[in-house]
Amino acid sequence: MDDRMLHEYRREPDPRFATDLRERLRRLERNRAFPSRRAVRIIAAAAAVAAITVIFAVPSVRVSAQAVLDVFRVKRFAAVEFKESRRDLLESIDKERGFLVFDRQEKILDPGPPTYVASREAAAAPAGFDVRAPRYLPPGMAADSVFVQGAGAARMAVSEEKLRSLLERLDLRDVKVPAGLDGQWVEFRKPPVVMQRFRSERRRAMLLQARSPEITLPAGWNLAQLGEIGLRILGLDPGDAKRIAKATDWRSTLLVPVPMNATSFRQVTVNGQSGLLIMTTGEPAADGKRRERTILMWSTGDRVFFLQGNLDGKELIRMAESVS
Amino acid sequence: MANGEVTLARLWSWTRQSGAIDWDAAFAESLPRVYNFFRYRVGDGPLAEDLTSITFEKAWRAREQYRQDRSALGTWLFAVARNVAMDHFRSHRPTVPLEEAEELPGGPTPEDLAARRSDHERLGRLLARRPERERELLALKYGAEFTNREIARMTGFSESNVGTILHRAVEALRADWDQGA
Repeated sequence: MDDRMLHEYRREPDPRFATDLRERLRRLERNRAFPSRRAVRIIAAAAAVAAITVIFAVPSVRVSAQAVLDVFRVKRFAAVEFKESRRDLLESIDKERGFLVFDRQEKILDPGPPTYVASREAAAAPAGFDVRAPRYLPPGMAADSVFVQGAGAARMAVSEEKLRSLLERLDLRDVKVPAGLDGQWVEFRKPPVVMQRFRSERRRAMLLQARSPEITLPAGWNLAQLGEIGLRILGLDPGDAKRIAKATDWRSTLLVPVPMNATSFRQVTVNGQSGLLIMTTGEPAADGKRRERTILMWSTGDRVFFLQGNLDGKELIRMAESVS
Repeated sequence: MANGEVTLARLWSWTRQSGAIDWDAAFAESLPRVYNFFRYRVGDGPLAEDLTSITFEKAWRAREQYRQDRSALGTWLFAVARNVAMDHFRSHRPTVPLEEAEELPGGPTPEDLAARRSDHERLGRLLARRPERERELLALKYGAEFTNREIARMTGFSESNVGTILHRAVEALRADWDQGA
């Protein structure tokens, strides 16, 4: 009897037991709405990053001029690199003090949990649009399940005091907190989101689609200036923040923060539309290994798409281009 | 939307988490480890499968609470598995020693006797005789294939203590084996 025998005592589970258990877990997922609710929030989440990026600074016009509102809608995507250490710092500040720059939040419309639907055709009614699907799937991959989450809306009020304190914690002493920002409301609207999952034995993909989320800001805000301050908070140096803020159309560009040391990204074209392809090494899995993920975001007409999977970029783009 | 849903920090964690966990892959990778963890704890047979099922069902129900920034998925899943094992042993304490249990009325059939001749059957019986603490560490080491360092983190023992306990447990198993137990 030796160490080797102790290792060899291991045995693979009975395949029937493994299949039955997996099926039971799938039923559990369906009954409980959705296996990864965070995933469904991604479009709204990314949109909100852009919104938060643009509300940090001095409005060029007094915010009392609210008769005309600025509305943000996603038309294109752009990546902005940031250090993970900055993200960790912001996360710890957030945990410590609650919202980073807001002090009030009002829920206008609860989206409810994502729910399982029988097919993409069945998703059309709750989503309010004809659901598109890829005509091309990588070999062996098939459609697996469809989920829909309803529309949601909320508004949040900016707190100058919180913003000032945040800038202080980040040692951004050259950034001035504007007057007149306090108590101004920013409204977020997330339309229904449809998520389709695809799988083969070893590969997985997920397509999210929705009409563009909308973020309504008080009129007259100097978005480039606000964006510049948001970028400084993300950790960009003053020169880069100014340059990017100036070159960005803040009413239609969704800024996606990309960790510097774990990912790479590039602009791509999906059926003539500009898209953003991000390759990430992901977090360590149960065995300690990192699983590569590829994420593609693009927009067509009034709709935004988010496709991710453990596929290479070429396959993902091919899937994306076949979406109709 | 829930409170704080649109704060920047949380958005980043969603972005990270939504992209990082593939629960299907996690299931495929973890199932053999969890199943074998229980085989080393409670022996071969349907009980190991039952406890494996309970573990995954509990973990699946609580999966939204899992935070990658706090622990690795394997560590989290095995925390659930260890609790399931603990609950099982608490509610199913053996009323007779395992050695005696082998002699319970009914006795082994000729087929059983033939099966027991195999080394694995014999090893299973020897494992069942080890004290609870040793058996859990053997299950984590050989069944779930954790390193001593990972076991130390999970159990609260020091790494050297884990190594010592495992070494003694293997020596004891070897001695029993050599004695033809």
